[in-house]
Amino acid sequence: MIKLLSLIFLILLLIVGKKRGFKTFITFYLSIFLIMMYLTFMKTGLNAIFLAIIICLLATLVTLFILNGSNVKTKSSFISIVFVLLLVTIITVFIGNSANIQGFSLESIESIGYYSHDINYDMTNVIIGMYLICTIGTIIDTSISISSAMYEVHENNPQLNKKELFVSGMNVGKDILSTTINTLYFALISSFIGFFMWFYSVSFDFLSVSKSFDQNIIQLLLSFIASIMIIPITSYISSIMIMKNKK
Amino acid sequence: MKKYLTLKNILIFVISLTIILFVYNDYFLYKTPILKINNIETTVEGYGSYNEKYYNQKITGVIKNGNLKGKIITVNNVTSTSGVNDEQIHKRSELFIKQSNNNIYSIIGVKRDKYIAILAVLFIDLIILVSGIQGVKTLLSLFVNIIISALAIFVFQSNADRLNLLLLYIFVSMIFIITSLFITNGNKTKTYSAIISSIVSLLVSFGLSYLIINIHGRDVTIWTMDYIEYVRDYENYFYVCILLSGLGAIMDISITISSSLNELIDKNFKITKKALLKSGREISKDIIGTMSNVMLYTCFTPIVPLAFLAIKNNMPLMRAINYYGEIELIIVLCSCISIVLAIPISLYISTYILKKYKKEVVK
Repeated sequence: MIKLLSLIFLILLLIVGKKRGFKTFITFYLSIFLIMMYLTFMKTGLNAIFLAIIICLLATLVTLFILNGSNVKTKSSFISIVFVLLLVTIITVFIGNSANIQGFSLESIESIGYYSHDINYDMTNVIIGMYLICTIGTIIDTSISISSAMYEVHENNPQLNKKELFVSGMNVGKDILSTTINTLYFALISSFIGFFMWFYSVSFDFLSVSKSFDQNIIQLLLSFIASIMIIPITSYISSIMIMKNKK
Repeated sequence: MKKYLTLKNILIFVISLTIILFVYNDYFLYKTPILKINNIETTVEGYGSYNEKYYNQKITGVIKNGNLKGKIITVNNVTSTSGVNDEQIHKRSELFIKQSNNNIYSIIGVKRDKYIAILAVLFIDLIILVSGIQGVKTLLSLFVNIIISALAIFVFQSNADRLNLLLLYIFVSMIFIITSLFITNGNKTKTYSAIISSIVSLLVSFGLSYLIINIHGRDVTIWTMDYIEYVRDYENYFYVCILLSGLGAIMDISITISSSLNELIDKNFKITKKALLKSGREISKDIIGTMSNVMLYTCFTPIVPLAFLAIKNNMPLMRAINYYGEIELIIVLCSCISIVLAIPISLYISTYILKKYKKEVVK
């Protein structure tokens, strides 16, 4: 089934995107490979948060430089993404450690029943790492859209100064933000439908103690926050780098 | 610095702080008794395999709500180094507890609402600061979408014998498309063309996915999906997930294309259809790559904890990915297919509608 769907995805990409479409396909499968690498290296006992940051940086490199090549747009995006990644890591580590989000919830106990729980690996870090990798896709998307648009604005109006360029970046960001939030909401909503159906079939007060629901909602909010934070940071860094590039 | 000390920003700050303080003290909202911890004594209980340590935490605290309010009690909690299915309680956590016998209490969960409140407030403040009135519109559309989602589930649950889950959600997705695009973009020609493009793209791409899955034969095990055993119409639940996951991305693409074509026509009203299509194609090539990555990272990564537990229990990596990731990967691939299909569909529909119905802007 996956092979068939991949094939159709590839054919459609080639028709619609031609060479760019093929690059997209390569990036897509490299990203899956990165997530598999993440699992493999975690098994050796390395710290999950540290690994997640490495994987996020690799994912950024792969997506930016394969899809868009090496230029001032991708470079300024990359620097912005590093900053946002650090900020998101700080928030996620704080929330992850305070809110006891580690491990699995009562509802999913059936699916983990046959495994030994003695794995000697801190599950809190696994969840924090997962949150970080989840957000990286949207960070990259927003960042490259803003820096590309700013570059276009600069090309067409070379007389704009740094501050005006920053403002135009922020305006592009505002336009993208509402659709990004929408995309993320719908990408994650299906897990909520199942949750609410479960919720109707058990007693009402259970909402207060469902770990799985809390985990999902924290993931959604973290992705939202990351996709907002990238806007001013990319606008600022791109405005500096594009102006520097001109000289 | 003075620029940021406006009345609006001070107001936002004060309201945010009030909300967080409220959630930190909202014990009276819950029926389940909540324990505020005063003291934790941790002792090593024993050792499992692979150097796993088990601890016993003796937790003393005071109950904050209900008819047991003010009572000081002690509960026990068994925890481990990994915490696969247990939690190491900190002094600042608050616990939901249950009274089983006269004086024996047990923990049923941790109170996490304050952390969710911190994140939610941070999200709302950031979106208002960065995006202003547009941000408020985004929040409104998000809020309306949440209400519609809740209503749809309510309608289904109360008429589960008569309703088909899939048909209900196809109908609901159209409402989603209309409300979200209207709220964020207003009553303009480009909104209408985006709505029509989204609906057509959604139906075509979902039809294609449905066809492929049925032609290939449904050999996927849907039982690894969360909560599947609680969904009444579980056969269709899988399709509903496919339908909804790509919905946001489809709307994203159609409004992006419709807005940029709209800009082009505004700048040069006499632009030909052919030139519009050409510029539209250039714009859309930039979107596909990063959009499909958003879907992949957002929807596929959540398999990590389960797959990790499985490979730690010596399941081979590929088998773990196949077992826990198959459904997610199918959903992601179907959404990616709808992203790619949405591009030509939106291009042609937007070009047609905008060229036909848009009036020239008088400069």
